[in-house]
Amino acid sequence: MQAEEFLLVQDLVRTFAGRHRVESADLEPSARAAAQKALGELGLAELRGSSPPAATVQECALLAEEHGSQPLTTSLLGTVLLAPELLRLLGDGAAPEVGTTPTIALARDLRFPGPPGDGLVAWDCEGADRALCVAPDGTVTSAELGPAVPAADLLRGIRSVPPGSPAATVGRLGPEQLTHWQAYALVLLSSELVGAARSFVRQSVEYARERRQYGRSIGSFQAVQHLLADATVLVEAGTSATRYAAWCLDNQPPARALTAARVAKAEVNASALDAVSIGMQVFGGIAQTWEHVAHLYLRKVLLGTTTLATTADLLTTLAEPETAR
Amino acid sequence: MNDTPLDFGDPADLDDLRRRFRAWLAEHPLPERGADEPLPTFLHRWHRQLHSGGWVGLDVPQVYGGQGLSTLHQVAISDELGAGAAPGIPRIGYLAHALMEFASEEQRQRWLPRMLAGEDVWCQGFSEPGAGSDLAGMSTTATREGDHYIVNGQKLWTSYAQYSGLCLLLARTDRSAPAHTSISAFALPLDRAGVTVRPLRAANGDDEFCELFLDDVRIEESERIGAEGNGWPLAMTTVSYERNALDTGHISKYGLLVERLRRAARDRRDELPDGLRSEIGRCFVDYEVLVAHAARRTAERLAGRTAGPESSYDKLLMTRTEQRLYETALRVFPEELFGDGGNGAEGGELFGEYLYSRAASVYGGTSQIQRNIIAKQVLGLPSAR
Ligand SMILES: Cc1cc2nc3c(=O)[nH]c(=O)nc-3n(C[C@H](O)[C@H](O)[C@H](O)COP(=O)(O)OP(=O)(O)OC[C@H]3O[C@@H](n4cnc5c(N)ncnc54)[C@H](O)[C@@H]3O)c2cc1C
Repeated sequence: MQAEEFLLVQDLVRTFAGRHRVESADLEPSARAAAQKALGELGLAELRGSSPPAATVQECALLAEEHGSQPLTTSLLGTVLLAPELLRLLGDGAAPEVGTTPTIALARDLRFPGPPGDGLVAWDCEGADRALCVAPDGTVTSAELGPAVPAADLLRGIRSVPPGSPAATVGRLGPEQLTHWQAYALVLLSSELVGAARSFVRQSVEYARERRQYGRSIGSFQAVQHLLADATVLVEAGTSATRYAAWCLDNQPPARALTAARVAKAEVNASALDAVSIGMQVFGGIAQTWEHVAHLYLRKVLLGTTTLATTADLLTTLAEPETAR
Repeated sequence: MNDTPLDFGDPADLDDLRRRFRAWLAEHPLPERGADEPLPTFLHRWHRQLHSGGWVGLDVPQVYGGQGLSTLHQVAISDELGAGAAPGIPRIGYLAHALMEFASEEQRQRWLPRMLAGEDVWCQGFSEPGAGSDLAGMSTTATREGDHYIVNGQKLWTSYAQYSGLCLLLARTDRSAPAHTSISAFALPLDRAGVTVRPLRAANGDDEFCELFLDDVRIEESERIGAEGNGWPLAMTTVSYERNALDTGHISKYGLLVERLRRAARDRRDELPDGLRSEIGRCFVDYEVLVAHAARRTAERLAGRTAGPESSYDKLLMTRTEQRLYETALRVFPEELFGDGGNGAEGGELFGEYLYSRAASVYGGTSQIQRNIIAKQVLGLPSAR
């Protein structure tokens, strides 16, 4: 995209996020639907829908950061950025189902799907009516959605995939495409989590400036300052890692991009969670209430750290040199 | 503030520079170190050799003996040296920046070409026994007497002073003014009467830092860098460059050790416990994040966003990477805890490097001081008083 055009789109997402952010954990189904409809009207699914894509992965990653910065129930990742990318990769070989809005399917524990036959869920499925599953061999199938699956993250919609539901084969990704797909999914999820951590840390810094105890602002206590400085460095580390990995997807071979994406997810799994935990500590008791947004951020980041790939998965893989090297 | 896409890639001419440097290096390999040759003397020879090939001061303008290229070019050379396990260019980058920014035209021409060529070796005389983190509390004085100053005081931790000809010295020129406007910077020749240099032995056995005693030392006005009372901003520029991820050749050295650990994880898959294997994975993550972070800071710099107090992020991330890396390396190679490192300091070479990694959270401003800087200067949190 042109620089000015990107700024406009980024601004659109920011305005959208400010308008549709939820203020508490008591979520209205009608508000969820309305927000998703409003997101759909921004037309962002086009960004990666065409070949070649209109937006770079780095641009999409920045938009995902923006979306992550507010507590939102909308599915930007599943329905707007991930499923369209999958269909784009499949290209003309895909047999798209006209009139449907797919999201993506993950294993029941939210990792990348395992071999066929293992249970699946539809992830980040607000507004979706199908789920695309990428099997370890690259085969892509489309499944129907069952009832909602309650989970720790109150914002992100998850639905079951009925075990008996007939799965239609949509197409098949080649090895490089599969690598690209995994890297892309890891980077965009990491970006959303880093956006959440950055925003929550910023809110806790503002709170530290305003809240007074012992006749002074709590942000003047060095113990609090060092917590917030550490949280800031963690957010910066996650930001550098995700943006670099996104750039690799735009400019480097898929294998290199996958390594960078795994690094980014491993960093963010640790740093986003630590940063949010620090932010909560700085808020004190107020952040422990149902009404406060803190737990919405915490829930999202916590479940996000186990989504697609856990820290243990990633560190074990990254511990050894890439075989190709 | 808007975050916009950045180009993390190398500019096209860097590839060419790297190729030319590798070719040069193949013809001018690292010299043999003499049996009794102290490391700094050996490194000094290496510095001169690199300079003779035109590989020092790439980012310094040609009038001052450099090549007039960009920081990126110098970083690429550091990178190549680190990746080839060769010692880096002596760390003069931040001193050169301080001189370029604060010295007079005449002084820049006098000192910079000789600094780059290795004809003058400089050290940094900032810290004192009573002024470490609280650098502004220094008590060394430079009292004006007509066209010169008389300096009295003591400096501490002055790295490699025993091998240096000149010292970038901070001293108080005004005892009544507030600290930050009363400190001045000087270029002090260490062979001047009244200067005593006493080396201190570091925990890893190396002779790195020194004590510097200054008794009625005469410094000429022409040896003062910048205006009187302008030493503080010079000092801050120096340390902020020193913290910057870009200006140090460490990163690619970490990369070599990380790859060594990853090969061990592969070759000793059944022997190393899972916990240690994931710790190796974590070291690789730290290293790659640091590479990504340095690339982002370079790209931001090229996009016109300059290095400010954010260089404290770099320092903390480098410290995290280095300290975890050496801790893990000793657990993967426990045999390094035994033997003699060669300087009578007990323990293998890796153990010596491990000990040095402990200093990463102290030199260039401690980790606590970096956090103070982030809290106050980046986050704008209020002061205690
Ligand atoms: C290997 C090495 C090389 C060095 N080379 C040089 C050199 O070439 N030239 C030079 O001038 N100096 C050099 N130094 C000195 C270095 O800059 C100082 O050691 C450093 O600034 C810390 O000062 P200090 O040792 O006096 O510790 P102190 O300042 O006494 O600190 C002791 C402890 O108190 C903490 N502390 C102090 N103040 C605060 C505060 N406000 N808030 C929170 N915590 C605080 C510190 O973080 C630290 O943990 C070198 C040091 C080392 C280790």
